[in-house]
Amino acid sequence: MLADQYFLIAHEDRTGRSRLHPRATGLGLAAALLGELVLEGRIGITDGDLLILDRHPPSDALAHDILDLLVAQPRHRDVRTWLAFLSQDAAIRVGERLMRLGAVESVTRRRMLSTETLYMPNSAEQRNAAAWAPARLANLLVRGVGMSISDRVLIGLVAATGLTRHVLYDFEMHRHAFQSLPSAVSSLPSDLRELVEYTEASVGSVLTVGRR
Amino acid sequence: MARMDPAEPDIIDRALAKNRLGVPSVVFFGVAGAAPLTVIIGAISAIYAIIGSTAVPITYLVVAGILSLFTVGFVAMSRHIVNSGAFYSYISHGLGRVIGVGAAFVALPAYSLMQIGLFGLFGSAAAGILAALGFSVPWYACALIAWAIVAVLGLLWIDLSGKVLAVLLVAEISIVLIYDLVMVANPANGQITFSTFSPAPLFTPVAGTLLVLAIAGFVGFEATVVLSEEAKDPKRTIARATHIAVLLAGLLCGISAWAMSVTTGPDRIAAVAAEHRTDLVFNLVGPHLPRAFIDIGYVLFLTSVFAALLAFHAAVARYQFALGREGVLPAAWGRTHPRTGAPLMGAVTQSVLALGVLSAYAAAGAEPLVFVFAWLTTIGGLGVLILMWAASAAVIAFFIRSRRRESVWRAYIAPFLAFLLLTVVMVATIIGFGELLQVSGDSPFQWLIPVLYLAVAAIGFVWALVMRAARPEVYAAIGRGADNRVSVLSENPITKSLHADPVGARGYPY
Repeated sequence: MLADQYFLIAHEDRTGRSRLHPRATGLGLAAALLGELVLEGRIGITDGDLLILDRHPPSDALAHDILDLLVAQPRHRDVRTWLAFLSQDAAIRVGERLMRLGAVESVTRRRMLSTETLYMPNSAEQRNAAAWAPARLANLLVRGVGMSISDRVLIGLVAATGLTRHVLYDFEMHRHAFQSLPSAVSSLPSDLRELVEYTEASVGSVLTVGRR
Repeated sequence: MARMDPAEPDIIDRALAKNRLGVPSVVFFGVAGAAPLTVIIGAISAIYAIIGSTAVPITYLVVAGILSLFTVGFVAMSRHIVNSGAFYSYISHGLGRVIGVGAAFVALPAYSLMQIGLFGLFGSAAAGILAALGFSVPWYACALIAWAIVAVLGLLWIDLSGKVLAVLLVAEISIVLIYDLVMVANPANGQITFSTFSPAPLFTPVAGTLLVLAIAGFVGFEATVVLSEEAKDPKRTIARATHIAVLLAGLLCGISAWAMSVTTGPDRIAAVAAEHRTDLVFNLVGPHLPRAFIDIGYVLFLTSVFAALLAFHAAVARYQFALGREGVLPAAWGRTHPRTGAPLMGAVTQSVLALGVLSAYAAAGAEPLVFVFAWLTTIGGLGVLILMWAASAAVIAFFIRSRRRESVWRAYIAPFLAFLLLTVVMVATIIGFGELLQVSGDSPFQWLIPVLYLAVAAIGFVWALVMRAARPEVYAAIGRGADNRVSVLSENPITKSLHADPVGARGYPY
């Protein structure tokens, strides 16, 4: 799923640390979770507002949970409010989902005054699968065709949060891919394009302030 | 399920508010740039020494008043534009993008020079302390050590955390109040005089110089609006915190300047200040306080200057980052370090610039306190004054187009008064600028600095016009920051009445 792929791209497979500023990763994951609901036809986005289109629970537990929350809080319609809210614990919740799937394991580390739980691939098999996430995206971009809507949202979120250079690390090999980036995003349906744009805006203002 | 009262904060509001900033944190952020001890020990004694006027206390109070008026309209406008970052985005919203880019080109050297000037203060203060301990170290060696630490911390984007700043600030304010008390308790000739609060000298030619020097002590308070998206209640928190920051700085500086004049006697303050420079306050309170209080004061003075250096460094880097991201500067300036979010090019540029200027001063053997600290911060202060003046005009222009449900006082009266007063201050400053730099009548510095600012602004205007012709889509996004798509909050309540909340890019629950 979208958020799973984003999680694997946004975290280092060896250390489990976020490749981006933690708040940027959180926003990217939050956007991916909302994107999953849009892709499943449960919600729509117009002019920065979320609309509930279909209240039937999605099959995924996390998506179900988020949709319930969106339904229960009709006062809050603003996409950026929801991005900010969901970003707070998105890394943990998506990490837990990946753990249920067997793609990562939870590792608890002692830090200076507290402990932190990281979700990271631990076995060779898991690591291979995690490393495949960005490689697959790079391949898709180089070929430039055959991208599903979900892949294009992922590309949009990768670009919006600042992971492009991690995915397309080789300038020579990926030169063509850089050119197909904008069209991959601009050809998205309008609500998903808005989602990507609001994510980029949120990441921008979070980074400008530079607060943890 | 029982329906909640819509006015009550729900779980979303509460969860978001937990990580948000309250009034105190925003105040600390606002006064970090103009740390009170830096201003009181460094700037006030320098003003007394260089200008030789006794009107310093009243000047600080007057400036606090003017800036409070300015803050009313400025904060009101910040509620209506997203990306409420820097002065230039306000100016481009209010007066158009061409003038906005010109303002940005004025802002870059202005903030940059203020930071470099502070290195002079730090260097000379640290060298003085080391000399008292028996080590003879040149000022630029101390400045270079500070430079290296600031450069590294800037690259890592480590700002002193809110708690560290808060502790330092509270300690600074306490020691200032103790010093003030001691100075007032030991007046010259045994009587306390309030004559330095007399506004009469403000109607003499020296007023312009005094006012711009005082304004330089407040620089940084405008940074609070950067945090509007991080504040618990964007409407009230930022407004309240900005006013508190201005009044706190104004009262502390005004009272301290007055206390200094009380203990030496208003007629002798200029001479004593010229003799002791940054040691002025310490020498005045030294005979009446245990040694430890003086030592703590020196340490806090250094940490306060250092915090200001760091805050200004971050501000300059952030400014260049914002401009790079909008395409005004080359795109390289708009990139951040992926993990830390540090604006790398901005931080490196400012560090390299500072190193160059400091090396030039060291090679020329110039006196750090006058030529580095006083000159550069004064020149930078003039730039910031120009920006404030343009921003106050932008606020008027912005609200004339639509009042946007703000009160008449906030939208029209206060911005107009602020614009009027800032115009007076600016004209007086430009006329008396040569006097400010203490140069002789036929020196080119009499007129050079304002002309240079005009020149960089003109380069900005031309650059904006070039951009409009060559890259119209980039030009359209100037001043829109992160939200290049959604620029102004929807102000029409009718079309959006379907939803309980104001809708838009910055639609956090009010």
